[in-house]
Amino acid sequence: MTSIFPVEMLLVVGIGAPAMLLIVLGGTSLANRPLPERWTGRLAAGSMTASFAALVVALVLLPTGPGAAHVSYGAWSTSHDGGIAIEFLLDATSLGFAVLATAIAGVVAAFSNRYLHREPGYNRYFVLFAMFVTGILFVALAGNVEVLFAGWEFVGLSSALLVAFFHGRAGPVGNALRVFAVYRISDAAMLAAAVWLHHVAGSGSLSMLFGESGTVPQTGLAGADATIIAVLLIVAVAGKSALLPFSGWLPRAMEGPTPSSAVYYGALSIHAGCILLLRATPLLEQVLAARLLAGGIGAATALFATVTTRVQSDVKSSLAYASLTQVGIIIVEIALGLRAIAFLHLVGHACFRLLQFLSAPNVLHDLHGLEDAIGVSPAHGGRPAPVAAPRVHRRLFLFALERGFLDAMLDRVFVTPFHRIASAFDRFDRLQCDVVASRTVTAEDTIHDD
Amino acid sequence: MTDGWPWVGVLAVLPLAVAAASLLPMDLERLRRVSVTAALLMLLATLAVAWAPWLPAMPPVRTPGGDVLFRVDALSSLLLPFASALWLLTVAVTPRAALDRHGLRRTAVATLATLASFLTQSAVLLFVLWIVSVWTFLSALSGPAHQRQRRVVAAYLGASSVLLGAGIALTFAPLTQGTRLETVGLWLIVVAALVRKGIFPFHAWVPEVFDHGRLGPAILFSAPQLGAYVTVVLIVPRASPDLLRLVAVLALGTAVYGAALALVQTSARRACGYLFMSQSALVMAGLDCTSPSALAGGFALWLSAGLAFAGLARVVLVLEARRGRLDLSTYHGGYERMPVLAASFLALGLACTGFPGTLGFAGQELLVGGAVDVFPVLGFAVVVASALTGLAVLRMYFALFCGRPDGPAGATAHLGLTRREALTFAALLTALIGLGIAPRPVIDSAFEASDAILSQRQAPATIGRVEAGPEP
Repeated sequence: MTSIFPVEMLLVVGIGAPAMLLIVLGGTSLANRPLPERWTGRLAAGSMTASFAALVVALVLLPTGPGAAHVSYGAWSTSHDGGIAIEFLLDATSLGFAVLATAIAGVVAAFSNRYLHREPGYNRYFVLFAMFVTGILFVALAGNVEVLFAGWEFVGLSSALLVAFFHGRAGPVGNALRVFAVYRISDAAMLAAAVWLHHVAGSGSLSMLFGESGTVPQTGLAGADATIIAVLLIVAVAGKSALLPFSGWLPRAMEGPTPSSAVYYGALSIHAGCILLLRATPLLEQVLAARLLAGGIGAATALFATVTTRVQSDVKSSLAYASLTQVGIIIVEIALGLRAIAFLHLVGHACFRLLQFLSAPNVLHDLHGLEDAIGVSPAHGGRPAPVAAPRVHRRLFLFALERGFLDAMLDRVFVTPFHRIASAFDRFDRLQCDVVASRTVTAEDTIHDD
Repeated sequence: MTDGWPWVGVLAVLPLAVAAASLLPMDLERLRRVSVTAALLMLLATLAVAWAPWLPAMPPVRTPGGDVLFRVDALSSLLLPFASALWLLTVAVTPRAALDRHGLRRTAVATLATLASFLTQSAVLLFVLWIVSVWTFLSALSGPAHQRQRRVVAAYLGASSVLLGAGIALTFAPLTQGTRLETVGLWLIVVAALVRKGIFPFHAWVPEVFDHGRLGPAILFSAPQLGAYVTVVLIVPRASPDLLRLVAVLALGTAVYGAALALVQTSARRACGYLFMSQSALVMAGLDCTSPSALAGGFALWLSAGLAFAGLARVVLVLEARRGRLDLSTYHGGYERMPVLAASFLALGLACTGFPGTLGFAGQELLVGGAVDVFPVLGFAVVVASALTGLAVLRMYFALFCGRPDGPAGATAHLGLTRREALTFAALLTALIGLGIAPRPVIDSAFEASDAILSQRQAPATIGRVEAGPEP
């Protein structure tokens, strides 16, 4: 590979601009000196533009050919076995998605600047937005598992905190905690994959997963290790992209402001899992079980989402499930090895769904105005024809209305037993102290076991 | 002078000066200012002792018998500024209502004991300082409202002190060298360290003291993690791999246990207690994994989780001073009235869990890598604990600062931070995030310390061998 020095410098600007925005906005907020709206808006627009321009030029200058260009900025932390380096792995897919991410982020930043004008959480929104853009660029371009994991965590935390953006109400806050709980499962799977990679390969380089340069990329893994890492990655992807069985969090995430719903669940965050699987295609091609698993989950999710989206009573949830349908199909395409189609599908879908999300409030506003003017709902198109026998139709409707009973199932299988067991241990701990202090346990000392 | 020990002497004078000043008829706020100044000077001095290249070398101070009494090595270079920072945090952020003359004196004495502990490798002196720190903690619980907690602490930590004393006597007495009594002695030291660290099944006193005892003294007693230091200095160089593995397995289990129980608490204080247990157990697991990466990760996590946790618990104290006892079963709201306090809580909580961009991230990465190398399956307990603690922190944040409107428009009750509190939290966060973005100085020192400790281990370990089964 020829020298990619200009690309290295461009990458610094591309990723550094949103990171600097995060530091500046976060730092001034922590110092209780938040910047005025005008400055925040300009800084956000400037950093997104700089990032987009730098990444576009980097994409143009990226040497063509198979394989990925490896960019390292040296050891960030040392250790006997090499330490943690800040590394990126650049190819047309990763840089292409990064360009798409910054373009969409720029549009959403401009839209949010007006949409959230004089909102009390304006500054907080942009802090979290900057964290998200930094995170998604890390995910798209990561060259080792540490960078990937950092990006994964940034995306997850900013997503949960934006779901709770209207934190004066209990609903968004409760839903954000549910979303974050699923994200933590995803994070744990990602970290476990990273650790296992380190353990078996002695390196955290993603070229072990995403393949080395060459005409036919090959991973550096084999056998059970490859299968374990692939399955863990699929679990991580399923959590982050709301695939089954983790789809229950998606409608809950619609509590956030519309621009964040658009950028997360219409355009970028929900596709983060797809881009990760797309980059890991060499690993998937090596492990048939993982391809079957990914394909099965993708197909099931697409079917589930397409049924569910038809009975949603609010536009954002309906759009979110429509997004999920497409995400499921993209995952199937990746599992089938149709990389180019999957990438084009992803790009097209992200842009289209972003437009739908951002225009949804205006469409609703217009429809309400029209409804007031003509006296009936203009969207009313009559009852759709049944798709099955009435009994099946009713059950399907109930299934879709209850969103597949996924939340109830997770509660019953995981949350309630976890709470019960942990509470029992807690009571035991209190009892030990009671014994030591020669006092019996009292009712008010026990925690509620609901 | 040919060495830098006078500098260290100055360190000892500062807390002693505060202790002496507390005996004078001085206004309480003025005494606090004296304490803050002394703590700040101590922090600067310890940083100079640790990292200033212009300071002359400090050869070990030896007893007349030739044993090393005090030394400054890579490990103490890391721990001295850490102890000073904890003191500064304590005196700068203690709410006015919880401030008292005895407390400031106790804090100074406890810091002096911690500092001296981190400078010594002498088992006997460590035992004496261990007793001093337990005594200062017990004296903080002397009020009638804390009799139950005093009894619990006296039982657990009294037992651990007796075990440590007996263990040191058996391990280091010339007559027991090479006999089974030496092995028994090391086991007793191990149990003493486990009790002090709150490792399962010796942990019940930790949440109890955090919940119903005095939170401030509990933080100052727990955060320096003297139990971890005893483990590093007395246990790791001598114990067999099997014994260390047993301790590491218990610690990994405790990390998950504490994180899981933190998630279901209805009391913010008790949740803090379990969070501390979990993080402190991760440190212990790192120290006992006998891998350079895990050990270095354990050291980094010791500093980052200790400071972050102390800051987090201080935020809880500050919030309690404004609202009373904090219940996690309901939402309290209030973000808009105290955004900096809320953001500090969240940032410190995330730093505690090793979130990317904080010092704990580098430490946790090293720790989990080292732990999985030693325990290919059980090492993933670190991953589970990390996921659960992150969730517990966010749950606490939402319950304490969100979920309820901030009252009618125009309500202007001041619930924010004082200037001193805001500066302290900002400095702490700057340190944690700054060292998270550029962790090499700490990580390099941590590796230097881990190499030095592992080099002390005898090649075939002779003490404390247990019949362990095959690796899980």
